[in-house]
Amino acid sequence: MKVSIDLGKCCGHARCNAVDSENFLLDESGYALRADFEIPAEAEEKARLAVTSCPERAISLP
Amino acid sequence: MTTVEPESAPRCPVHDYTPYELKPLGAWAEFYHQLQDEAPIVKNEFGRGYYIPTRHEDILAVLQDPETFSSDSVIAYEPDPAYRWIPHMINGDEHRQWRRQLGPYFSPRATEQVDARVRAKARDLVAQLAGRGACDLMKDFALKFPTAIILEVVGLPPEDLDRLLELEEEIVHAVGDPDDALRRKLAAINAVKQYLAEKIEQRRARPADDMITKSLGIEIDDRPVTDDELLNYWQFLVQAGLDSVAGMLGYFFHHLATHPADRQRIVQQPDTIPQALEEMLRAYSFIVTARKVTRDTEIAGCPVAAGSMVQLILKMSGRDDEFYHDASTVDLDRRTSNHLAFGAGPHRCLGSHLARRELRVALEEWHLAIPDYRLGEGEPIVEFGRSSGVNTLPLAWDI
Repeated sequence: MKVSIDLGKCCGHARCNAVDSENFLLDESGYALRADFEIPAEAEEKARLAVTSCPERAISLP
Repeated sequence: MTTVEPESAPRCPVHDYTPYELKPLGAWAEFYHQLQDEAPIVKNEFGRGYYIPTRHEDILAVLQDPETFSSDSVIAYEPDPAYRWIPHMINGDEHRQWRRQLGPYFSPRATEQVDARVRAKARDLVAQLAGRGACDLMKDFALKFPTAIILEVVGLPPEDLDRLLELEEEIVHAVGDPDDALRRKLAAINAVKQYLAEKIEQRRARPADDMITKSLGIEIDDRPVTDDELLNYWQFLVQAGLDSVAGMLGYFFHHLATHPADRQRIVQQPDTIPQALEEMLRAYSFIVTARKVTRDTEIAGCPVAAGSMVQLILKMSGRDDEFYHDASTVDLDRRTSNHLAFGAGPHRCLGSHLARRELRVALEEWHLAIPDYRLGEGEPIVEFGRSSGVNTLPLAWDI
């Protein structure tokens, strides 16, 4: 499924990466590396936790 | 200043209290809770007066709108400060430039690289305490551990720790008459800057593999950073590195000393420490920050004029029952870390990754050596209504 991150809202808390470091990649400063990316079905549950873990509400799922 | 409020306007109750008052631990949280119950926004007349949004949503909205809510002042009763903490009090594109250059040194990756040093320091301090059977967690551990890390990471000698701690006390915790406290704070800020100016000179003459040397290469608007900017940055960093982690450790250990089930949980399942510390950050964050309003606006239906100060009490966000179910209860299974303990928006705490690692390592290493402890005998535990941890935390354990 597709994950969308509003890079303008991302402020580098890295809580998403703490939930799922394989799919929620960070740049060298700890901000979201990718705005839109696909994740496998089995990563959905963690992705939903990543959405609620973001203090900025920068992440959305379908 | 009097305001005439038409009857249809939303309420903004007015209070008049001093944040410098020391209260027994928990009393400030209770007072904030009363304000939250009263209205979504209140006003305190202290100083020149300031607004306090009491709900998570509005606190977040302020943090996410730096153009309306600038960082020209970050202390609600110091609207025209004589100091300029960098990057904390910088706005706009200049702020982005600072954060872009500092980011890699404070990233999760950079934090991994200092993990071994952080752990060694924690282990060392705990080993010194374990055989004693009692300590003041603040004096003997919480104030020493993060400060030692920051000194090492920055490139300052460990023998300067005590002097810097003294000056730090004056900057963040000065007690007494507010005007006198402010005077002492400014004097302490200058003393730290003088100390740092020497260090910067030394690094210019003899570069070292430390952050002070690296900071000499910072560029703002395509020109080299000035000595004045460096001093403002380093003075602020030393202050930020010293105080906040120490304060949080105080609250963490007070909770764990008084909630045996939670303590036993983290002892038996140390891999739950990361989620436990997030939950305790949510419930106990003590940072109080502020923003200065740049244009007429409104918060929670209350008009707020340009030039006003808005105080953000991050604990109110964490304790907002509309946002967190049963917000006053620490539930180690809550499993969400969207709290605002590290702020939000572009000024999200630069040190958050290092802070989290220090907190995690402190909990891990302490509970390996001292899994069972309780509150000990000692002076009453008190706290301010400012950004501040507790003054003391006596702990005792069987040896």
